[in-house]
Amino acid sequence: MLRATLKGMASRKARLVLTSLAIVLGTMFVAAAMVLTSTMDKSLSGLVADAYEGVDGVVTPTSADAQFEEGFGSASNLIPAEALDTITAVDGVDAADGAVEGQINAIGPNGKLVGTFAPTIGFNWESNANQEFYGFQEGTEPAADDEIAVSTKFLADSGFDIGDRVTVYSYTADRAEFTIVGVFNLPGDRDSMAGETMIAFTTPAAQQLMTKGEDVYSAVYLYGDFSTDEVDQALGAGEYKVQTGQEASDELAQGLSVISSVMGYIFLGFGLIAVFVSVFLIINTFTIIVAQRQRELAVLRAMGAGRDQVVRSVLAEALIVGTIASILGLGLGLLLGWGLSLAVGEFMFSGLAVQFTVPATTLWALVVGIGVTILSAVVPAVRASRVPPVAAMREAANPPKPLRTITIAGAVVTLVGTALIALGLSDNLGGEELLGILSGVGIAFVGITLLTPIISKPLVSFLGLLMSWSFTGKLGKLNAGRNPRRTAITASALMIAVALITGIATIVSSLKATTAEALELNLDSDLIVSGLQTGANIPTFASERIDELKALDGVESVGDVYVDFMGAEVDGEGEILSSSQDLDATLKVFGGTVSEGSVTDLAADSVVIDEGTAEKNDLALGDTVEVTFSDGTTTPLRITAILDGYDLTDGWWVSPEQIEHFAIPKPMQAYIAVTDGADLLAVQADVEDVLADEPEVGVTNNAEFVEQQTSGLDTLVNAVQILLALAIIIAIIGVVNTLVLSVLERTRELGLLRAVGMTRGQAWRMITVESIIICLFGAVLGIGVGIGLGWTVQQALESEGLTNFALPWGLIVTYLLVSVVVGLLAALAPAARAAKLNVLGAIAYE
Amino acid sequence: MHHTDHQRSAGAVPRNPEHRNPRHTDTFIESESVVSTASPVKTTAVAAQGVWKAYGSGEAQVVALRDVSVEFASGAFTAIMGPSGSGKSTLMHCLAGLDTTDRGTVIIGDSTVTGLGDKALTKLRRDKIGFIFQQFNLLPTLTAEENITLPAAIAGTKADPDWVKRIIHTLDLTDRLSHKPTELSGGQQQRVACARALATRPDVVFADEPTGNLDTRSGTEVLNFLRTSVDDFGQTIVMVTHDPTAAAYADRVVFLADGQIVEDMADPTADSVIDKMKHFEELVAAAQEEAA
Repeated sequence: MLRATLKGMASRKARLVLTSLAIVLGTMFVAAAMVLTSTMDKSLSGLVADAYEGVDGVVTPTSADAQFEEGFGSASNLIPAEALDTITAVDGVDAADGAVEGQINAIGPNGKLVGTFAPTIGFNWESNANQEFYGFQEGTEPAADDEIAVSTKFLADSGFDIGDRVTVYSYTADRAEFTIVGVFNLPGDRDSMAGETMIAFTTPAAQQLMTKGEDVYSAVYLYGDFSTDEVDQALGAGEYKVQTGQEASDELAQGLSVISSVMGYIFLGFGLIAVFVSVFLIINTFTIIVAQRQRELAVLRAMGAGRDQVVRSVLAEALIVGTIASILGLGLGLLLGWGLSLAVGEFMFSGLAVQFTVPATTLWALVVGIGVTILSAVVPAVRASRVPPVAAMREAANPPKPLRTITIAGAVVTLVGTALIALGLSDNLGGEELLGILSGVGIAFVGITLLTPIISKPLVSFLGLLMSWSFTGKLGKLNAGRNPRRTAITASALMIAVALITGIATIVSSLKATTAEALELNLDSDLIVSGLQTGANIPTFASERIDELKALDGVESVGDVYVDFMGAEVDGEGEILSSSQDLDATLKVFGGTVSEGSVTDLAADSVVIDEGTAEKNDLALGDTVEVTFSDGTTTPLRITAILDGYDLTDGWWVSPEQIEHFAIPKPMQAYIAVTDGADLLAVQADVEDVLADEPEVGVTNNAEFVEQQTSGLDTLVNAVQILLALAIIIAIIGVVNTLVLSVLERTRELGLLRAVGMTRGQAWRMITVESIIICLFGAVLGIGVGIGLGWTVQQALESEGLTNFALPWGLIVTYLLVSVVVGLLAALAPAARAAKLNVLGAIAYE
Repeated sequence: MHHTDHQRSAGAVPRNPEHRNPRHTDTFIESESVVSTASPVKTTAVAAQGVWKAYGSGEAQVVALRDVSVEFASGAFTAIMGPSGSGKSTLMHCLAGLDTTDRGTVIIGDSTVTGLGDKALTKLRRDKIGFIFQQFNLLPTLTAEENITLPAAIAGTKADPDWVKRIIHTLDLTDRLSHKPTELSGGQQQRVACARALATRPDVVFADEPTGNLDTRSGTEVLNFLRTSVDDFGQTIVMVTHDPTAAAYADRVVFLADGQIVEDMADPTADSVIDKMKHFEELVAAAQEEAA
C-alpha cells in the first residue's frame, strides 16, 4: 500500500509542491518566531548581563512608583546622601557610591528637543559603576558642574560637537547651559541601547537637574565583601531594596526579555494565522486529490484493500508531505529568524550584536506543521474510504455533493455564535460578557466558513455579472460557480486574512472617528498647543506662555491643563489630578458645565469633581477629601463645585495654587478659542512666535491635531497589514492550486473550446475571470465578516468610550482592488497552462 | 454541387425538396444500400497534397501518413476508414488544422492551412470548420442552446437565428434547449454536438467516430442527420469511422492502411465496405507472412 501511495504521489508532484508551500510558509513563520524570541532574549540580556560587573551590591528605592518619579525628578523616596555613610559603616563594605539617573531635555541647534523619538537620559559621571560601564571615547571627563560628556548617539542626533554649549533642563529644573567636554559609548561600542541619547554630568549638576537639587541618589552601588542582609538591616529593614550585583543584573535582563517575548508572540500569532489559513488549502488539495483518484481508489478497494487501508494511504501521503514541508519550513524559519533578529538588532536596538540561538521549542514548528497537515487530511481520507469498489467500473461521475448538511451545520453554528455575541453585548452573561463575545466571534467565524459554499452561489453569480460582458467572462463565471465547495474553501482562506485586516481597520477607524468627534465637535477651540510624547516624559511648556497667549490679538480665551498623574492620591486611592489657571475658561473650551457650586477663583483648599466621581465616591458638595500630591504633600480639600458628567472634563480639578505640588508643574496642553472673524492662520502664526522658545510643543489647528492624535493608529493598521501579507500569500497559493487543478480537470473542455475557435487569449481571460471571481468572493466575504467583527468589538467597547462606528472606506476599496490584482496574478500560471494546451492532446485527454 | 438523394424508411428527418437531386431515385433503407453519383461540376472543400506526418524520431519513429494526396468535394459526405494505426485519425487532424504536417499542403476552401500560426488556425477552425467528437465534448456549465451557439459566442458574433432554429428543429432538440448536458441522454448530447458543428455554416464538418459512444438507435439518428445535412443543406462532411454501417451513409469511402490511401470507393454499401475490409485483412496478413 505504501508503494502505491509513493507512486501516486510521484505522479502528483506539482499539486503536492503547492500544498507543501503553504505548510512550509506556516512552519517557517512559527519557527522564525521562536528563534527571534530566543535570540533577542539572549542578546538583550547579554547586553545588561555585565551591567553591574564589579559591583557587589545595589541599593534602590523600594516603591515601583519611585522608578517613575525618578524621571520626573521627585526627591521623595530616593536615597538620601546620609544613607551612604550608614552603608559604608556596614561590615565588609569597602566603598559606596551614589548614582543619579533620570530623563532630561536637551535643546538642539534647531531649537527643538534632541532625539525626536527616544528620550534623553541624564546621569552622574562620578559614580564608579557608571564609569566602569560606559566606554570613554575622547575628550575629557566632566569635572566642573557646567561640563558634560555625551553619548556618540547624542552627537549624531543633535549635530553638536565637543566644545559646543548645550541648553539642558528638566521638569523640575530650569534651563542651564553646559559645555560638551567628552564623548562616551555604551558597552560593546554601541552608541545607544534603543535609540536614546545620554548626557553625563557631575553629581551636583545631575542632582540639580534630576532631584530638585537635593543631595539624594536614585541608586547606590556597593563594593566589598558583605552581606546584603546586613546592609538592609542597617538601612532599616525593608526601607530600600538591597540586591547583589548579580541579582540586579538578572532583574534588568528580565525586564528586557519582556520586550523580546512580546515581539516573539506577535510573530507567533501571525505565524499561527498563516498555519490556520494553510488548513483550508491542505483540506482542499487532499479533497481534490481524493476525487481525482476515485477510480484508482475504487480499483484498490475492488482488489481487496480495506477501508482502513485507504484511509491510511491518504494519511501516509499527508504525513510524507507534512514532514518534508515542515522540515523545509523549519530550515527556512531558522534563516528567517536569523534575518529578523539581525534586522531587529540593527534597527530597533541600534546595531545590537545578535547572539543567534535556536531554542529547543523551535521543534514545535515541526509538530505544528506535520500535525496540521495530517489533521487537515483526515476528512478527505475518510471520504476516500467511502469510495465503493463498484466506482472502478463506472464512468467517474462526480456530481457536486448537496450542500444541505454543511449549510444546516453552518447556520446552527453561526446562530450559536451570534446569540453569544448578542447576549454578551446586552450584558446577559452574568459577568462573563467579554469571554462570551470573544468566543461568540470565534464560533460565528467557523459558522460563516461552513456557510461559504451556500453563500458562494448567489454571490459568485452576482460578482460574475460584473465580468459577463464578454462570452469568455461568462464562461469564467460559470466555472467559478461550478463547484461551490471548492470555490468556497479556496475563498475562505482569503476571507480569513481579509476579515482580520478589515476587522482591525474598522476598529481603528471607529477609534479615529470617536477621537475626532470628541475633539472636533466637543472642543470649542480652534488652536491647540501640544507636543508629541517621546519616552516617559510628557511634553510641557512654561506657565507664562498662557498669559502671553491670552494677550494675543484674535485670541478670545485660552484653556490650559496641568495634570498630576503619578503618585497622586485622594483618600488613599490613586487618582489623576487636574488643574487649570482659569477653570472657567477651560471648561468653556471643552464644553463642560457646572452642576452645583462655582468654579470661579478656586480657593487653595477647594476641589471640583464631576457627578459620576461624586456618586462613585459617595461625595457631595461641601464634603472634604484628603489629597496627596506627587511631591508627598497631603492636604484636606473641600468640594466647592460639582460638574455635569462629561467625558472631557470628568475627574478631580484642584486650585492652581496646588500646581507647585504636581510632579510636572507645567501646562501640558493649551486650547485657544479664536475670536469670531479673526484670521485663524494669522493667529496660529502669532501663537507659534510665542512658542518659539518652547522646544517640546507646537501649535496645530483642530484638523492637524486630530491627525496628530490618530497618526499612531494608521501605523498600527499598516503593521498588521504587512504581517497578514503572509496569510494572503498562502491564500493566493490556494487559488493557484485550485485553478491549476480546475484546468487539469477541464482539459478536454479546454481542448474543445480551442478546437471550436477559442483563441489562446480568450482561454487566458476565461481562467483569469474565474480567478478574479474567486478572489473577489473571498475579499467581499472577508470585508463583510471583518466589518461584523469590528462592529462587535466596537459595541463591546462602547461603554469604554468607543462610541463611534466608522468604516475604513479607503481600505475597503483598496482590498477589493487588491483582490482583483491578486486574482490576475494567481491566474498567471494556470491561465498560461490553459492557453498552451495542445488542442489535440486535450481533446483526447481522459 | 454534388447532391445525393436518399430515401429512408425512417422518415423522422424532414426533407427539403429543393435540395433533392431528381436524377437519383435509388432507395436508401436503413443502412443497407447507399447509392450516389458524382455530379459533373465539383468544387473541392478540403484537399491534402503529398502530406507526410511522422511521430517520434530515430528508431522509434512511426510514420503515420506517407505522401497522402486526397480531395474532398464540396457538399459530399466522405468516410475515412482503416484499421487501427492506419493513420485515419491523423489524416483528419491534419486536415482540420488540429495537427501540423511534416511535408505537403492542406487546403480548406481557398485557404492554405499548412504553415498558419496558432491565431490564424484558431480563426480558421472557428469560421470554417465544425467538429463532432466521439465523446460529445459539450460544456457542462452551458445549456444545450448555449452549447449550440458556443462557436459564434466565442467569435463574438451571433449565429443566424433562422438557421439555428432550422437545425434545432431538424435534430428534434426544441424541447431540450434549456437542459444542461448532464440532463441529456448520449444521443441527445451528440445531436447537440451536431447542431453546434453546423450552427456556423462551416465549409466542412469533421466528425471523429461520431457514433462510437452511442447505441444503435441513437447512432442511426445522428447518421441520418449527417446525411440530411449533406442532402438538404449542401454541407460537406468528412467522417472518420471504423464502422462499415456508418460508412455506408457516406457518398464515398477512402480507405487508409499504413499511412497510405489504398482504396477510394464511391457509393458504398455496408456489404461492399465489409468486403473491402476483409480483402484488406487478407492483404495485410499476406504482407505480414511475406515479411516473416
